[in-house]
Amino acid sequence: MKLNILIGGKAGQGINKISEIVSEVLISYGYFTFNYRDYPSLIRGGHNFNILCFSDKRIGSIESKLDFIIAMDENTVNEHKKNLKKDGIIIDYKKFESLGRNLNIALSGALMKVLGFEEDVLLKIIQKEFNNEESILAAKKGYDSQERKFNLVKLKNQVKILSGSQAVSMGAINSKMDLFIAYPMTPATGLLHELASKQVESGHMVFQSENEVGAINQALGASFTGAKTMVGTSGGGYDLMTEGLSFQGMSEIPLVLYLCSRPGPGTGLPTYTMQNDLDIALRGGHGEAPRIVIAPGDPIECIEKTNEAFCLSEEFNCLSIILSDKHLAESEFSSDRKPNKILSVKVKRAVPGKGVVKATSYEHDKFGNTTEDAEIARVSADNRIAKYKKMKDYCKKFEMIKIFGNKNSKNLIIGWGSTKTVILDAIEGENFKFLQVIYMKPLSNEIKKEMLKAKNVILVEQNVTGQLGRLIREKTGLKIDKRILKYDGRPFTQDELKKELLKNIK
Amino acid sequence: MKKENLNTNYGITWCPGCPNYLILESVKQALSNFKHEELCMVTDIGCHGKTFDYLNISGIYGLHGRALPTALGVTLGNPNLNVLAFMGDGALYSEGIGHFIHAGRFNPNLTLIVHDNQSFSLTTGQATPTSQTGFKTKANYPELGEFNNPFNPIRIALASNVSFIARCNARDIKHTAEIIEKAINHRGFSYVEIIQDCIIFNPEMNNKDKMMYKVEDNSDKKIAEKLADEWDYNSKAGKIPLGVLYQEKKSILTDKWPQLSKLENKGVGWVKR
Ligand SMILES: Cc1ncc(C[n+]2csc(CCOP(=O)(O)OP(=O)(O)O)c2C)c(N)n1
Ligand code: SF4
Repeated sequence: MKLNILIGGKAGQGINKISEIVSEVLISYGYFTFNYRDYPSLIRGGHNFNILCFSDKRIGSIESKLDFIIAMDENTVNEHKKNLKKDGIIIDYKKFESLGRNLNIALSGALMKVLGFEEDVLLKIIQKEFNNEESILAAKKGYDSQERKFNLVKLKNQVKILSGSQAVSMGAINSKMDLFIAYPMTPATGLLHELASKQVESGHMVFQSENEVGAINQALGASFTGAKTMVGTSGGGYDLMTEGLSFQGMSEIPLVLYLCSRPGPGTGLPTYTMQNDLDIALRGGHGEAPRIVIAPGDPIECIEKTNEAFCLSEEFNCLSIILSDKHLAESEFSSDRKPNKILSVKVKRAVPGKGVVKATSYEHDKFGNTTEDAEIARVSADNRIAKYKKMKDYCKKFEMIKIFGNKNSKNLIIGWGSTKTVILDAIEGENFKFLQVIYMKPLSNEIKKEMLKAKNVILVEQNVTGQLGRLIREKTGLKIDKRILKYDGRPFTQDELKKELLKNIK
Repeated sequence: MKKENLNTNYGITWCPGCPNYLILESVKQALSNFKHEELCMVTDIGCHGKTFDYLNISGIYGLHGRALPTALGVTLGNPNLNVLAFMGDGALYSEGIGHFIHAGRFNPNLTLIVHDNQSFSLTTGQATPTSQTGFKTKANYPELGEFNNPFNPIRIALASNVSFIARCNARDIKHTAEIIEKAINHRGFSYVEIIQDCIIFNPEMNNKDKMMYKVEDNSDKKIAEKLADEWDYNSKAGKIPLGVLYQEKKSILTDKWPQLSKLENKGVGWVKR
């Protein structure tokens, strides 16, 4: 069973609360949920909606056709009626207009009744969340307004909800990160807020810098002293940081960077999603220096890969970039998989406080003294490249790619990052093998082998030019002709992607 | 700790006669009063930045215009280090001016030393925000020189609530050393503006010693504003007051953060938390 529920209203009306309440009950019954958040860049008014999809099986995407529309205003009905399935249901605000700001609670109650939950399940959660008479009355009023249509039985699955931002924060805290430094920029801000709220319990520090140029230089200064340090930003802020990334390459001060993409160029579509920053993650910054770029595909991978990023940075005194996007950062995923064992991150380098330790943005000799000597310059450059070879070997102990679907299929899909879960949903029951690229730099040698085994290779990315495709071509010499690219800021839906994929193997 | 221990055997490449030698000497005199292993410098890019290779203490040779945020980062990483940032007038007042204003706001415990030679010297003498109008450089309209008026950095520091503001003459080694020592001992963001001649690129503004006079340590903001206005950086008219132009006790960045206060009390950085 699978249902696809749109919840819409004006910014500030509290649609997220409906998703939250209903999701919490659903996962407590062992169902898998996925909640997509669609909102323009404004604070009050406008039109925001969530699509909450749930199923008795694992799920990580939405469908384009709706089973329910939960409307907090008329605009929601008008905008989305065209996508309602034939037997779809609209539950709107009209009966509850007198409830004011408790409208969202009433609509939660109404939806819970239609799904077939008992009233006490609803009241328990409302009590826990709000604990006031008005809210309980609103929930009851909503509940009583509907008839039961479904009867959801309890399942045995142990499911947890996590967003990508929450998961990266967990990965950082698991790594015993000391400092997080950032300047606000959607959709990277989620991590800033998440880590800021966790300062008391975990003891790390979150510093809001004057700007991204300040942030990156502060981070390098702090990391020099031995603090495990991370910065977070989106494309525009990353651009401002790139001189600092280049400085990192020369000074070899360890650093972890979280790059959370949104559609560009320019200010672009600030609150929407796109995988258009792989190129700059791989190469942003002048000069040639090694780095790591990892793109987790779901929150559990965010926890694991952020931990790996910290390990790699300390092991090799290098820059590790965690590449995410709005869709992964802000959607609420559910999972029954436990993350891998936490790797301990050790600071082994010399830090100031005892002897003389020097780090520099100039070319330098082994004591950190500035030099313009031709021989030292050549040897240092060779050393930086030799280090990258070691990094590449070391990464082999981590999962750099994953293979899903029919392992014997000749139809090979290649994708990365936030498209992982929608690809998994789209190939369910079909004859596809899916290769998820997780390490973008270094790139796994397995990719070429898999491509050579396949008959049809299909690239799936959320950008205009197929940035992963280009990277693969550069590293393997193999060009991928079949490409499914989406670049309107909205994520793929499972049914549309499935249709596109099937077209490519006809 | 002995002053000689601060020396390196790196060959100095400043022009013969450059007052940077004198500033380096003042810095060494001042630093000899502190524990060398607790010192950490961050230098910027420019002639002044070469100090990095000439001082035998830990540190970072950072990016142009960014020594200040890098130094602030060092205090975030270990509030027990004694942090110094060295910047030029081009680096701080042009490329990095935003960081200066915010350092006033954050009030980190560090000392900023500015080598103000009223010129971008390492890039062969263009006008900086403290260069005089009419300064003829290779980057200006031929013969007309620099069009803009300089700004007054002391005024900016006052407006940014910088908690320690001092000005020195590079040629007065003893006085400069004393002021740097006071700046390091000040708990908070200490800003030391050192008037320095560049004997190669802006000789017109050299030799201002006659305009300079020393003032008593001051902690009155009104008086500080008057002192700031005595010289506009634009000419060799007026008087140039030297000394601690303004000093104020207030809570520093470390005091506000429970995490950093804890590190400070334990005498460690994050690495040993
Ligand atoms: C981002 C960046 N822009 C420009 C430069 C080139 N640059 C190097 S030194 C310098 C000027 C230094 O002037 P100042 O800070 O006044 O120091 P001085 O050489 O006068 O001591 C500039 C612009 C650079 N290194 N980095
Ligand atoms: S160019 Fe000017 S500032 Fe630079 S070393 Fe020579 S005299 Fe000194």
